[in-house]
Amino acid sequence: MAEIAAVGIVKRYGGLVANDGVDLSAERGEIHGVMGENGAGKTTLMSILFGLQAPDGGEIRVRDAPVSFRSPIDAMAAGLGMVHQSFKLFGLLTTWENIVYGAEPRRGPFIDRRAARDRVAELAAHHHLAVDPDARVGDLSVGVRQRIEILKALYRDARILILDEPTAVLTPPERDALFAVLKNLASEGRTVLLVTHKLHEVTAITDRVTILRDGRTVANLRTADTNAGEIVRAMTGRNVNLKIEKRPLPPGDTLLKAVDVTIGSPSGKAVVDHVSLTVRGGEIVGIAGVAGNGQNELVEALVGLRNPDGGRVKVCGRDVTDTDVARHRAAGLAYIPEDRAAVGSAGEASAADNLAMGFHRSAPLASGPFINPSAFAERARVLIRRFAIRIASESTDVGTLSGGNLQKIVVARELSHEAPALIAEQPTRGLDVGATEHIHEQLVAERDRGRAVLLVSAELGEILGLSDRVLVMFEGRILADLPQGRADEHNVGLLMAGRGAEAG
Amino acid sequence: MSPFSSTPKPGGDRLRIPPVALAIGFAALVGAALILVSGHDPLSAYAEIVRGSLSPGALPDTLNWATPLVGMTLVAAIPLRGGMVNLGGDGQLVIGGLICALAPLFFPGHSAFGAAVGLALAGVGGGLYAALAAWGEVRHGVPMLISSLLLSYPAIGVTSYLARFPLRDVSTGLPQTLMIPPGARLYVLSGALNVGSLLIAAIALAVIFVDRRTSAGYELRMRGKNPRFAGYGGVRLGWQAVRTMFASGAIAGLVGAIIVLGSQFRFIDGALVTPAYTWSGLMAALLVNGEPVGAIVAGLFFAALQTGGFAMQRETSVPRVLTLVLQAIVILFLAMRRGLGRRM
Repeated sequence: MAEIAAVGIVKRYGGLVANDGVDLSAERGEIHGVMGENGAGKTTLMSILFGLQAPDGGEIRVRDAPVSFRSPIDAMAAGLGMVHQSFKLFGLLTTWENIVYGAEPRRGPFIDRRAARDRVAELAAHHHLAVDPDARVGDLSVGVRQRIEILKALYRDARILILDEPTAVLTPPERDALFAVLKNLASEGRTVLLVTHKLHEVTAITDRVTILRDGRTVANLRTADTNAGEIVRAMTGRNVNLKIEKRPLPPGDTLLKAVDVTIGSPSGKAVVDHVSLTVRGGEIVGIAGVAGNGQNELVEALVGLRNPDGGRVKVCGRDVTDTDVARHRAAGLAYIPEDRAAVGSAGEASAADNLAMGFHRSAPLASGPFINPSAFAERARVLIRRFAIRIASESTDVGTLSGGNLQKIVVARELSHEAPALIAEQPTRGLDVGATEHIHEQLVAERDRGRAVLLVSAELGEILGLSDRVLVMFEGRILADLPQGRADEHNVGLLMAGRGAEAG
Repeated sequence: MSPFSSTPKPGGDRLRIPPVALAIGFAALVGAALILVSGHDPLSAYAEIVRGSLSPGALPDTLNWATPLVGMTLVAAIPLRGGMVNLGGDGQLVIGGLICALAPLFFPGHSAFGAAVGLALAGVGGGLYAALAAWGEVRHGVPMLISSLLLSYPAIGVTSYLARFPLRDVSTGLPQTLMIPPGARLYVLSGALNVGSLLIAAIALAVIFVDRRTSAGYELRMRGKNPRFAGYGGVRLGWQAVRTMFASGAIAGLVGAIIVLGSQFRFIDGALVTPAYTWSGLMAALLVNGEPVGAIVAGLFFAALQTGGFAMQRETSVPRVLTLVLQAIVILFLAMRRGLGRRM
C-alpha cells in the first residue's frame, strides 16, 4: 500500500502544461527522491500534493484513499508536512512559538505556554533535532531554522514530510546531520519526499527516486539498482558530462588582487577581516564558505559596489580602491552577481537592453551620445544564438525567462566583455544539471583563455571541481588557501564550519 | 504573513482591452451617473466638453492650456522614468517665473534680449533648485520624495514675499511685479497661442529622442526598471540623479517663464501654483510610469478635459468640477488595473 500517491496529475497555467500526467508513489517508511530539471514540474507537483494548488486532472491518494485538498490545512490534517525552500517562520517569535503556531495547546482561552514549550523540547530531543525552544528565530542560523521547520511538521504529527531543496543552504556537516534525522524518521515509519537537484544526495539516502521531465514522469527507479549516469540521462534526455575536464595550465600574471581588505559592521565586528587574495591569469580560484561569512561583502568591495574600510583592490595592476563600479569595469573586470534577478538583470527590460549594459557607450552600439537600437538588437541576436538562450526574441522581457535562461543572459553579457578578470558569484545556484554543465564549461573556457576567474560558491562540489586553488572563508577571514590536489570535501567542509584545527 | 501563501503563476491568454480605453469608459459612465443624479443631461454635457476643447475655435485655448500642463508632465515624467519622483515642480515653476518677470526689466531698450536671458536663467534656476534635492539625497541621504516637496514651500514663500513687498508694482493694488515691456513678450501665433507652445513641443520631442536614442536615456530607463542593475552595470547613480533632476527642474523653470512671458506678462503671486499644473502633470506622468510619449498624450488629454470643462460650465449648468472628477476616476481605474496586474 502506497502511503501517498499521485496518479495522472495534470496542471495547466494558461497555455503552459506544468504537469502532464505525473505519477508518483511512495511507500511507508521510504525516503523518496523527486528529481528533474528546472521547469520539469517538481514544484508544481509538490504544491498540488500539499494543497497549495488544485490539479486540473488526476488524483491524489493518501493510504489508498482518494483525497481532495482545498488548502494546506486539509493536507496537514491528512498527515502531510512541508518544509519549503524559503522558510515560513516568524523571526520575532521564539522557537516554540513558531512550532506550535496555529495548533497551540490551550488552557481555557489561553495558550498553555509551559505545555507547549515542554512538548517542543521533548519532540526535539526525540528526533535529535537540536534547537533551543526559547531562542528567538531571527537570531538563528539557517540550519537551525530548517530544523524548526521540520519540527513544525512533526508537531502536527506529519506522516509524510515533503522537503523542497533542503540542503541548498547547509554546510556539509549540517547536511549530514539532516540526512541522519531523515533516516531516523523513515525508520519510524514516516515517508519523506526529498525534492533535489543533487545527484549525490539522491544516491546517498533515497530508497527510490521519481524523475520528471517536461511535466511527465519519465522514470521511477530503485536507487540501489541505478547510477548517477542513468538518473542524469532520464532527467535531461541525453548524456551529460558530470566530470569537469580541465587541462593543466601555468598561471600567468596577477590580474585581480586584494590586500588586507577590511569591512566593518555597525556592531563593530569586521564582516570582512583583512582579506588578501590574488587571482592570476589562467587560474580559477574558488572561495568556499557557508553563505553569510563575508563573501558578499568581499565581492562587493572587489567590484566597486562598496568601498572597503581598509585595504586595497587592484584590477590588472591598476589600483581601483575607493572608485566606483564603472572604474573597476574599465580596469578589466566582469562580474556575474549572486542574484541574477535583483542585481544582474532588469526583468521588465528586453533581452536586447539587458545584454547591452556596459556596451552602450561605445561602438557599435553607440556613436557619441547616441545609441543605435538596431545594433542593440543585432548584438542580442548574436549572443542569444551563441549561448543557446531559449527566448522568443531579443525584444522579449527577460523577467519571463526561467532561472537557467536568465543566468545565460547574465553570463553571456559578462563574458562578452572579454575582461581579463571575472568574478562569478554562485553562478549555478538553482540551475539544473544541463544549465550548470554549460556554465561550468564557460568558466573553464575563460580560464583556458588565460583569464583570471574568482569563483564564489556555497556549492562545495562546484568549488572542488572547478578551482585550481580553494580559499575557505569563515567569519570574514580566509582560513586556508589550498591547491586543488589538497582540497577535499572533508577538510574544506571542516574549515567552512570554522574547525580549522581538525582539518589539519 | 500567512505561512502558507500560494503563488499562482501568471494567468493565461485572456482577452485584453486596452486599460486606458477601459478606464476612460468607466469614468464616463460614473460621470454620466453623477450628471443624471444632479438632474442634467450627460450627453449634452459630454458634447460640450468635446466641442469646448476640440472644435477649431476652441483648439488654440486647449493648446494654450496644454502648454504648461504638458511641460509639467515632462517635469514629472523625466525623473519617474528613472524611478525618482520630483514633487517640487511648484517651487521650480515659481523660481523660473520670477526670474523671467525680472530679467527683461534689467535690459530696458533690449527687451527681446532680456526675455532670452530670462528664459535661459529661468531654466538654470529651476534646474539648480531641483538638483539641490537630488544632491541632498545623494550626499546626505534625505529622501528626494520629501526634500523636493519641502523645498517647494520656501520657494513659493520667498517669491510670494518678493512679489508682495520689495518688487510689488505699487500702481496696482495686487501682489504682482511690474509689467514687462511688450517687446519682451513671447510672439503670438494665434489668439491665446504663442511661441512658448512651440518651445514646449520642441522640448517634448527632445525628451522623447533622449529617452529612445541616447545612452543617457538608456541608462535612465534601466535605472527605472532596476536601479541595482544599473549600478551594477557601471551607471553612476548619484551623478545621474543630479543630472536628471536638473533637466526636470529646468523644464519647470521654463514653463514658469513661458507663462510669465506669454500670458501674464508679470509675476502674479499664486498665479503659477493655483492651476495645479504640477499635480495634473504628475498624474499624467504617473499613469504611464514616466514613458514620455504616453505621458505627453495623457497631459494633452487632461488639458482637453479641463478646457472642455470650462465650456461645459458656460453652456450647460454642470459645474466644471465634473471634469476633475472624471480625471480622478480615470486615474483610479488605471491605477487599479495596474495594481491588479502586479499582484503575485
